[in-house]
Amino acid sequence: MEPIIKVENFTFYYPDSQVPALAGINLTVQAGEFLGLTGPTGAGKTTLALALNGIIPNFQGGRMGGRVMVAGLDTAKTPCARLAGVIGSVFQDPEAQLVAEVVEDELAFGLENLAVPREEMRQRIGAALEMVGIASLRHRSLRELSGGQKQKVAIAAAVALRPRVLVLDEPTSELDPRGTLEIVALLQRLNRDYGITILLIEQKISVLAPRVPRLVCLNKGRIVADASPRQILAQEKLTTELGLEVPPVTALFRMLRRAGVYHGDLPLEVDEGQRELGRLLGSRASRA
Amino acid sequence: MPGKSFLHKLNPLTKVVWSLAVITLAFVYQEPLPILSLWASVLAVALIGKVLREILPAIRGLIIFAAIFFLFQVFLIDEGQVVFTLVPGTGIGRITDVGLKACTMLALRMLAMTSTIPVLLATTPPKDMIVAFVEKLKVPYVYALMLVTSLRFIPTLQEELSLVIQAQRAWAYDLEGRNIIKRFLALIPLALPLLLMSVQRARTMAISMETRAFGAGPRTSLHTSTFQLLDIGVISSCLLLTAVLAVVSLR
Ligand SMILES: Nc1ncnc2c1ncn2[C@@H]1O[C@H](COP(=O)(O)OP(=O)(O)O)[C@@H](O)[C@H]1O
Ligand SMILES: [Mg+2]
Repeated sequence: MEPIIKVENFTFYYPDSQVPALAGINLTVQAGEFLGLTGPTGAGKTTLALALNGIIPNFQGGRMGGRVMVAGLDTAKTPCARLAGVIGSVFQDPEAQLVAEVVEDELAFGLENLAVPREEMRQRIGAALEMVGIASLRHRSLRELSGGQKQKVAIAAAVALRPRVLVLDEPTSELDPRGTLEIVALLQRLNRDYGITILLIEQKISVLAPRVPRLVCLNKGRIVADASPRQILAQEKLTTELGLEVPPVTALFRMLRRAGVYHGDLPLEVDEGQRELGRLLGSRASRA
Repeated sequence: MPGKSFLHKLNPLTKVVWSLAVITLAFVYQEPLPILSLWASVLAVALIGKVLREILPAIRGLIIFAAIFFLFQVFLIDEGQVVFTLVPGTGIGRITDVGLKACTMLALRMLAMTSTIPVLLATTPPKDMIVAFVEKLKVPYVYALMLVTSLRFIPTLQEELSLVIQAQRAWAYDLEGRNIIKRFLALIPLALPLLLMSVQRARTMAISMETRAFGAGPRTSLHTSTFQLLDIGVISSCLLLTAVLAVVSLR
């Protein structure tokens, strides 16, 4: 099948910039994938997100080379409005991306823009709120909501347009750990139950690693790794270079591996580590 | 909208008409007192609309802005009788009666004109405001968006600014103990990042709207279009009142 996202040799310079924000990016994503994207600040993550939803080059000017295809559409030749029904976007700042006063009206915004008839609009708003699990917030004022709830509204507003892909640019950076995990769990559900392809940009690697099968790392505008989180976290040089905050349990087992004590898969979470540790100690004890 | 005043129920365009009426009168009036009452009437509308408290920070900002404007202008006018000299006997910092009146008028006029904007924004969701500006009034998208977002975030900006000042104070970076000009200059490096942040927010809002098909063509609306009797009433009274007041004061 044709991939849902195909980025081919994509390069982008912001206006008046001599250094490319992205250089020679090649990325293929199949429909239904859940992809993590990480890298240090300034690596080009946001730029890549904007290239996928067509803001680059339709809204943000600059020099570009190569091609970005989303669901068979060339983003450079497709108006943002047309792409809106294919790829949904959620951003970092929960305040600045919302434009309405009431939750329902926020979800209506995109549907109104696409001239959806009123009856269908009501029904699609209801369905999107259900999917995201915030049906009870429908008539609430956005001002009263927490940061996490606002992000769920932003996700629901994107989902109401029935996109095949969702790109989320650090949606949890202003949330507490609980809100963060809730958002990630919600995205996993949207991916599993509705087959929406998810591209989650996230700096908190300890949140991302146990939950995504595939992790892409950007640095200085280039893709420097594209593999499973386990494979990436195993590479000490790479994680240091990227400044990734390796989960302590993973770091511990990396040390055990280096010492030749441990040979299994690197655990990414504490309970996994506990289990491995138990097994390790058990096998030593039985050998002794 | 839940639990809101009649101002919230008005169509955004009706409020724009009100705003234009205030601007017209601000230009027509040539004396400080009528302009002052015009400004008071704007604040009264805010009070009736239950948003006076909410817009107070923005109004305070506008007053400071008008005051700075006044200070920059008032020393530049030479005409008329000297009423005050900053450094006596030298002629430095001379203020004349003509200059004083002209600059007072200018500052008050600016204040009355701009004070309607926070009222407009506090009683209208950003998207309705932007749709009214861009689709109905054909204001370029970028300008409408900058207006809406910058004023929307004024309270947030002020909170952040006061946080920064507190932090600076904790580092013994004293702002209070100096004269007003030094205090103002000291604020510039602090205000700059906040300004950039507000530009960033306007950009985020624009992008968030673009990715939801804003400007795709004809739109539908979830709620019935709200050009009601109330709007027609308010628009006609605004026009009538402006015409009457203008004719009276120009005679
Ligand atoms: N609007 C812009 N104008 C000019 N340069 C920009 C703009 N946005 C980002 N950049 C530059 O492009 C590079 C990549 O930025 P970005 O995509 O925002 O990185 P990330 O999201 O990974 O932090 C950085 O060097 C940044 O300074
Ligand atoms: Mg970014």
